[in-house]
Amino acid sequence: MKIGVIVFPGSNCDRDMFHVLTDVFKVDAQYFWHEKKLPSNLDAIILPGGFSYGDRLRAGVIAAHSPVIADVKRLASRGLPVLGVCNGFQILVEAGLLPGVLLKNTLLSFMCKWTHLIVENNKTPFTNKLKLGQKIPIPIANGEGRYYADEQTLADLKKNNQIVFRYGEEINGSTVCIAGVCNKEGNVVGMMPHPERAVEPQINPIDCKPASLIFESLFSTIGVTH
Amino acid sequence: MSLEKQEYEYLEKKIGRKPTKTELNIVAAEWSEHCSYKSSKKHLKTLPMKGPRVISEKGFDSGVLDVGDDYIVTVHIESHNHPSAVEPYGGAATGVGGVIRDIISAGTRPIAILDGLRFGNIEKDPHARWLFKNAVTGIADYGNCIGVPTVGGEVEFDDCYSNYALVDVASIGFGKKDRLIKNTAQKGDLVVLLGGSTGRDGIGGSQFASDSLESENRSAVQIPDPFIEKLIIETVLEARNQKCIKAVKDLGGGGLSCAISETADSLSIGIELDVDSVHTREPGMSPDEIMISESQERMLIITDKAKLKTLQDICKKFHVQCSVIGKVKDNKMMHVKKKKNTLALLPANVVANAPLLDRPTKKPAYLKGIQNEKKLKTQSDLSLVLLKLLSSPNLASKRWVYGQYDHEVGIRTVIKPGYDAAVLRLDNGKFLAVKIDGNPKHCYVDPRQGAIGCFEEACRNVVCTGAKPIGMVDHLQFGNPEDPEIFWTFIEALKGLADYAKHFDIPCVGGKVSFYNETPKGPIKPTPVIGVLGLIDKKPLHTSASQGDVLILVGKTKNELGGSEYFEYIHDFVGGECPKVDFKASKENMDAVLVLFKKNLLKGAHDCSKGGVAVAVSELCMQNNVGCKVSLDKIPGEKLSHDRLLFSESHSRYLLVAQKQKLAQIKKVLSQNNVSYDVIGSFEGDQIQFKAGSASVVDLSVDKVQKRWVRSLEDLVLHG
Amino acid sequence: MSTYTVHVTIENKPGINDPEGETILNDLVLKGNYSFVTKIRSAKMLKFTIKEKDKKSAEKKVRQLCDELRIYNPMVSRITVDVF
Repeated sequence: MKIGVIVFPGSNCDRDMFHVLTDVFKVDAQYFWHEKKLPSNLDAIILPGGFSYGDRLRAGVIAAHSPVIADVKRLASRGLPVLGVCNGFQILVEAGLLPGVLLKNTLLSFMCKWTHLIVENNKTPFTNKLKLGQKIPIPIANGEGRYYADEQTLADLKKNNQIVFRYGEEINGSTVCIAGVCNKEGNVVGMMPHPERAVEPQINPIDCKPASLIFESLFSTIGVTH
Repeated sequence: MSLEKQEYEYLEKKIGRKPTKTELNIVAAEWSEHCSYKSSKKHLKTLPMKGPRVISEKGFDSGVLDVGDDYIVTVHIESHNHPSAVEPYGGAATGVGGVIRDIISAGTRPIAILDGLRFGNIEKDPHARWLFKNAVTGIADYGNCIGVPTVGGEVEFDDCYSNYALVDVASIGFGKKDRLIKNTAQKGDLVVLLGGSTGRDGIGGSQFASDSLESENRSAVQIPDPFIEKLIIETVLEARNQKCIKAVKDLGGGGLSCAISETADSLSIGIELDVDSVHTREPGMSPDEIMISESQERMLIITDKAKLKTLQDICKKFHVQCSVIGKVKDNKMMHVKKKKNTLALLPANVVANAPLLDRPTKKPAYLKGIQNEKKLKTQSDLSLVLLKLLSSPNLASKRWVYGQYDHEVGIRTVIKPGYDAAVLRLDNGKFLAVKIDGNPKHCYVDPRQGAIGCFEEACRNVVCTGAKPIGMVDHLQFGNPEDPEIFWTFIEALKGLADYAKHFDIPCVGGKVSFYNETPKGPIKPTPVIGVLGLIDKKPLHTSASQGDVLILVGKTKNELGGSEYFEYIHDFVGGECPKVDFKASKENMDAVLVLFKKNLLKGAHDCSKGGVAVAVSELCMQNNVGCKVSLDKIPGEKLSHDRLLFSESHSRYLLVAQKQKLAQIKKVLSQNNVSYDVIGSFEGDQIQFKAGSASVVDLSVDKVQKRWVRSLEDLVLHG
Repeated sequence: MSTYTVHVTIENKPGINDPEGETILNDLVLKGNYSFVTKIRSAKMLKFTIKEKDKKSAEKKVRQLCDELRIYNPMVSRITVDVF
């Protein structure tokens, strides 16, 4: 049983994600270069953060055309849990696996700071061990993290319970402070903040437990012991 | 062409004939001040560079320190002053690129960046604001894109940098000792150029850095491409893993000319290359342009013929261009060809070793009597003075800057920006503390004491996290070395640094010298910037303070306000006694703090530097949302007027925060270590209070001050 | 076949917030007393050099390319195509 971490040219947080999975939670993970085929026996897929293709043209758009995305789509349609973090979220949106769009932050500059999320949907493979309304201390680090959904999309998101996380404070102009969404089926989740940066007490000065539950939710969903 | 007459004659004599045009261009690039260090090389030898942790290898661009358990840390510092003054975004960004490539040249992965930024008066000068804003964006965009966290640095403003920019970038690398690339090469090995294509960027750049900034020369600016840099990082580290790299050098100032000559010289080999094999981005580039181009994001790799295919496959995977441009010979010559025509054939050691200069020195006239103070206007409201200082660009919070840097990527940043030093966790359970510090105001008033002060300040900062200093890098930035008065300040600063390094056994593991930092207004103030690395064996000290904690001040406060923020920002006065480091007290105080840390007796430590004890106490209050009541009468040292006690920038002073119940043990340790100290106050309420007897000298609301301190720089830059 | 230069201008749809344009207007231009400027919208332009048989085909093909490869995001942006 293993978790696949996809690596694009320009991905940076692949190593961080791999470290958290294998060193902190001691589960089996493997890197997959974006030109490789994904095996069918993966238990979950994670698209990590970074600057794939240097964010050229638009963050995530070029990576969304990578060969591996066809496999990601295929496995996602079978219900495999897929998590996109930061640039990974941007790629999933550009690939059409998640609704909405990520735009430049309102303040027009890159922002690296600690904030907290509020859980809005605890039925996804990544949130089923969290409580509704639970606060998650977590850092953001992005320049294009402003989530935008037009009226119709927003209405659909609300109707289908697709808003997974919201920011606890107005931070970058995101529509109704959306920090993470899922697809209609609920197995593909994208989030702008970095959970992999919030699970170790040495690095997270506030409280690691909530962010850890994001990973624990996944492990219990796919039946991995750690 | 920038070869001096005597240099031309020297070259002619060495090669026994007149040089060709290409040879002249190559030598002029390598013999520029920026590449050859001809003014400073002789003198830099006085810095101690050896130590039990220091690892030196041939041709290394970065300093290497052994941190135990078969792990090493590499460090390098560079500047990109001239380019940043012309085009701050590209100049600062490419500065990051250059220093990162030096780190990967050693075979280590870059794990942190630090930036030192200095500009003119941003309160009065919109151009300085423009330079500052864009330099920060340049560093942010580049560092963030390559995924290396910018974890610390400095931001300072002074009139002497009008129309100019000092952009210092340092980087730290980490890796296993057995993966260190030991540069070697044998006859028959291949010379490969890897990375971005060669264009006309930066033509004349390193020579440009050696002329002063009188006219804008936009072709001398380089365009950054952090995406290619990221691919290069992964390519080089993968090539290292697969043992494809026998020797590696990053291309920086002087381009191919310098990289080839320096590599050939340090490895005692000959290199023959064909300019037609260099992958270029513009058609019709002349051989000379190809040799001196400073296009960014390029590396030179020497590989075994048998490993070429593997190297090419790795480059292909990462979509990084690579061309075999030459081969290694054993004739110790640098041979540049265009197909069959020889354009240059020079002994590598002649090219790489410019005739060194013995520049004259003369004590500057301005220093005469500078320690004398003029009569200063009495400041009746010291609360207002402190508030003004905390809102001033030099002392205000730099959150606006580091908030734009991803300082968390890599998940190593244990102590984040905004504290005394950044602390990174290493893979062997140890922690690395790192800080860079400069103080041109002090160095102007007293170059030697000022330089020592910068070194001690960087050490104090890492000590405040519980780390013992293990190595130093220095960046010496001065005006025109041909001016004997300026060269005197350089020599003095160097002497100071060498003295401190020797006394404290902290080896200099790298550094840079940057001369010709001048604007039409004149030279910059002497600006040595010192970076110190410290190692901690256990959990670092993450400073905090809460209601009921006690505040101790270790170290004496003296009447030394020359070059202080108080004198210059409030009184507009340059002069007075520069703070001097007392080596004995420095060692005793430093050791005492480390003992207290080891015994887990402290909740926090914060050093006193710019703005004195008043600013240091205020910072503790604002960061922890707690008030403090301090008694000026308890401050150890000379009996001084209130303002001098508050704002003197004497060295070797530490504020210690501790729980009341640990006080007795702390006092025991401090007395045993023979240090001057006293319990000067306690954390209580929500006001920053300094009292003399029962009289209130300073009384400010923490909340009110914090709001100003946090927003001041951002408001100034964004809204003028 | 002739060589054409095609300019594709990508800008946010009118209803979408354009902080970049607003900042340039409010914090730079109007502060510089250029009060005759009433609005600024930011855009990105890509210049394509293509070989096609005529201007009409050139425009059609470039538009198609932009749609298929998501050169612009139709939810928030629109494109203007000019052929030279």
